[in-house]
Amino acid sequence: MNGSFLLTMIWAIPFITAVALLPVCRDDHRRIKMISLVGNSLNLLLVIGLTFAFINVSTGHPVAAGAKASQFYFTAQVPWLQMMHIEYNIGVDAISVLMMLLTAIVIFCGVLASWGVEKQAKEFFVLLNVLVAGVYGVFVSVDLFTFFVFYEIAVLPMYLLIGLWGTGKKEYASMKLTLMLVAGSAFILAGILALYFASGLNTFDLQLLSQHHFSPQFQYWVFPIIFVGFGVLGALYPFHTWSPDGHASAPTAVSMLHAGVLMKLGGYGCLRVGMYLLPEGANMWMSFFLVLVTINVLYGAFGAIKQTDLKYITAYSSVSHCGLVLFGFTALTFTGIKGGVLQMISHGLMTALFFCLIGMIYGRTHTRTVSEMGGLMKVMPFLSVAYVIVGLAGLGLPSLSGFVAEANVFVGSFSNPTTLNRICTVLAVLSIVVTAVYVLRAVNGLVNGPIADRFLTLTDASPLEKIPVTILLFCLFGMGILPGWIVDLVNEAVHPIYNNLMR
Amino acid sequence: MKLLLPDILLVLLAALIMGYDLYRGKVNLNSSKPFHLAWMGLAVIFVVLARLPYDQTVMYPGGYQVTGAALLFKQVFVLSAFFTVLLSQSYFLPNGNYRGTLKHQSEFLCIILLCTFGMFTVVSATDLLTLFVGMELSAIPLYVLSGFYKDDDLSLEASTKYMMMGAASTGLMLFGLSFFYGAAGSVTFAAIAKVCTANPSEPLLRLGVLFVLAAIGFKLTMFPFHMWAPDVYEGAPSPVTAFISVSSKAVAIAFLLILLYGPLAALHSSLQPIILILAAATMTVGNLGAMKQERLRRFMAYSSIAQAGYIVMALAGDAGSARSSVIFYLFVYAAGNYAIFFIMSAIGRNGEEERSGLQGLGKNNPGLAAILMLTAFSLAGIPPLAGFMGKFFLFAAAAKEGYYAMVVFAALNSTISLYYYLLLVKEAYIIQPAEETKALRLDAVQVCSLFLLTAVMLLAGILPSISGDILAVVG
Repeated sequence: MNGSFLLTMIWAIPFITAVALLPVCRDDHRRIKMISLVGNSLNLLLVIGLTFAFINVSTGHPVAAGAKASQFYFTAQVPWLQMMHIEYNIGVDAISVLMMLLTAIVIFCGVLASWGVEKQAKEFFVLLNVLVAGVYGVFVSVDLFTFFVFYEIAVLPMYLLIGLWGTGKKEYASMKLTLMLVAGSAFILAGILALYFASGLNTFDLQLLSQHHFSPQFQYWVFPIIFVGFGVLGALYPFHTWSPDGHASAPTAVSMLHAGVLMKLGGYGCLRVGMYLLPEGANMWMSFFLVLVTINVLYGAFGAIKQTDLKYITAYSSVSHCGLVLFGFTALTFTGIKGGVLQMISHGLMTALFFCLIGMIYGRTHTRTVSEMGGLMKVMPFLSVAYVIVGLAGLGLPSLSGFVAEANVFVGSFSNPTTLNRICTVLAVLSIVVTAVYVLRAVNGLVNGPIADRFLTLTDASPLEKIPVTILLFCLFGMGILPGWIVDLVNEAVHPIYNNLMR
Repeated sequence: MKLLLPDILLVLLAALIMGYDLYRGKVNLNSSKPFHLAWMGLAVIFVVLARLPYDQTVMYPGGYQVTGAALLFKQVFVLSAFFTVLLSQSYFLPNGNYRGTLKHQSEFLCIILLCTFGMFTVVSATDLLTLFVGMELSAIPLYVLSGFYKDDDLSLEASTKYMMMGAASTGLMLFGLSFFYGAAGSVTFAAIAKVCTANPSEPLLRLGVLFVLAAIGFKLTMFPFHMWAPDVYEGAPSPVTAFISVSSKAVAIAFLLILLYGPLAALHSSLQPIILILAAATMTVGNLGAMKQERLRRFMAYSSIAQAGYIVMALAGDAGSARSSVIFYLFVYAAGNYAIFFIMSAIGRNGEEERSGLQGLGKNNPGLAAILMLTAFSLAGIPPLAGFMGKFFLFAAAAKEGYYAMVVFAALNSTISLYYYLLLVKEAYIIQPAEETKALRLDAVQVCSLFLLTAVMLLAGILPSISGDILAVVG
């Protein structure tokens, strides 16, 4: 199969799945879920195939060796709208391939984890699939306009997914989340238009724009617009407030997908659009954003200590860990950026597993308050052990994925010789200690101690539930023990961005 | 004469419908023939319009000019009239609407058609007189239509209020146009353009622009002249509200386009800041106002004020991008607006046209609820729907001139608008109705219209190139 056709297929299949769900009878939940599962399994296979194909191609023509002018592979261009030279322009580099792989794994597990959805299942899976299509679309786009369109498609279904199937303050949370993210994309839209008209190239093509040198004054004020615009989705302080409420209220699969993948779109956009196209702007603004991001890391960690609700704990830890993604980027060193990318992947897997487990535990205990639980190890050993492992991954235990990423982030950040960077790194490293506090406290409250009588009858995970947990655990260990191939791929993709920054 | 064919057909159609009524006498007031005649006739006119060449500019005797842009505007007007006719059908049926049954259908249809002809005149004008006559021809029928519930106080109040406001606006406009005449010594656009180019700082011209902007501000519901809109929209019968919100706005914006890029082109650069300030204020006022509205017609009034703000913003751009983006946006805005009004007419069969009438829609009418959601997203400007493309072009027109801050402001404003459009979605899907609600019943006309409108919203969003004529020819 042709590579670029494969890319189109990957985002089209979820759409087709969504459309295929429309004629299904509303009460035939089994068939609805099967169709979603089949669609997403197919996609998982395609993405794995894409990854292998990509590794094959990219080792054949490494960008760093200069054998290939562009860092994107499998490119294709189809004019979409002649008047403004808008193109359906696709291609992937290693970062996007890895992110797509992450998406495929998370959504596959997400569909399995939401097997229990009974209320209006048809609408749920239609929206979920549309959302996933949007996410894939963002990762394959090389044209800023296409990128933006997919980005919005990925954000909007969230409103109904949280508002209709969520729990707790769902109406408030879904409205807040949607409006904040769309406000962020308002900035992005303005930034994209500014890039288009200021370059004078009449193109939204990322690669062409990256070769154009924008004037420093222009970069000085457009960079923060774009960085903040994407930063909202990346939970950049002080625009992170949608995240705890949104993630805590969302249904399991949506939390998994949103915290696991969607928040990464923010970091991805910051890197791909902001820092890649406006390197001088990035250099000018980085110390400012570095401070914000350091606050992110610490604030998220300290916020998590204070929480008693499992989902809120994980949501705040997401703020902290997503902060580390941006923290790596703001370091402006090769290792730092690489670490940020690795953290995107690691955090995606980790947080997806967190929310998956919390959903399963909540489905049994009907409470998410840590103090009301205890001794769950006795009745659900599998889920408890998995929770302990993912908790350890969260605090960066070696041989789990978190360590690989965080080590790179902190080393990269510290290797930037400015004093501010050094101070911020030291502060951010402290967050690991705080992370240990809240993770261990939650784990302790959950699995140890006396068990309440009403929990004695609870059962452990069913075989169907064990599948997603096992897959995600496997990936966590896989990335922790054998990070080599991922790091190699990321290395190669970070080169062009880094070179642009240092130009 | 080929290019005049649509205009001629339109007048003939109006005469035919009026004549039919006179010929058949009073007995047959409930006949549905005029209705079928009207929508089929309008469909034919639309096809004729769509098949005319866009690349010709022909001047007919008496200063009646047909250009590509004029043809596209005429398409907007005809489509708007077409959907108004379809929308109005259920309001004429007994038990078709909770508020009451409208009477005198052929009269109604005839007025709609004649009003549309007035709009045709505006876009074909080459001198101030034709322009003014066209504006009046399109305005006066609307006063009549607003009061079409002849024994409903609200409707009569709306009609009176609209007429008073309209009269004030007409006075202002004539006053402003007289300054142009005073400066140029002629009413033709060519003469005025010459004076503007030769002497752009002429105070008479400035005064004229001021008054004309104020006058057109009324029609376009531009801040600070928007106050009448919520009351009139609320009081008028729903199909008339829909017609006012689309056609009347379209003709006002056509008027501005004609003046700003025609005779007053030399003043355009000095007018840009004013246009942007007005646009920013208009969209903000509309968006803030719409948030709290429970009644859908009032809601749509504020929503359309905000939409007018976005449209006006594009007038800061150059001629080509302003024209093409405005016309494209009018199409998608019309599609979104009419879709909401058709859904309203479905709600209105059993109860007041209020937001709470949408409750339970997600469960009872999943298809309709999905259309509502798409429409809301289209009006809010969310890709991949047409509304996004439309807004994108409007914003691009302003961005092209370097007004990036304005783009940020407008895009944030459309985030605010997303809030209240999401309230519609929330009402339909999330809020649990207090009592059991029945599925809404749609008749064939409503189903077909909604289908058409949804298709437009999806197609123009996903494949904007199908509207290549608008984007390429005019630009």
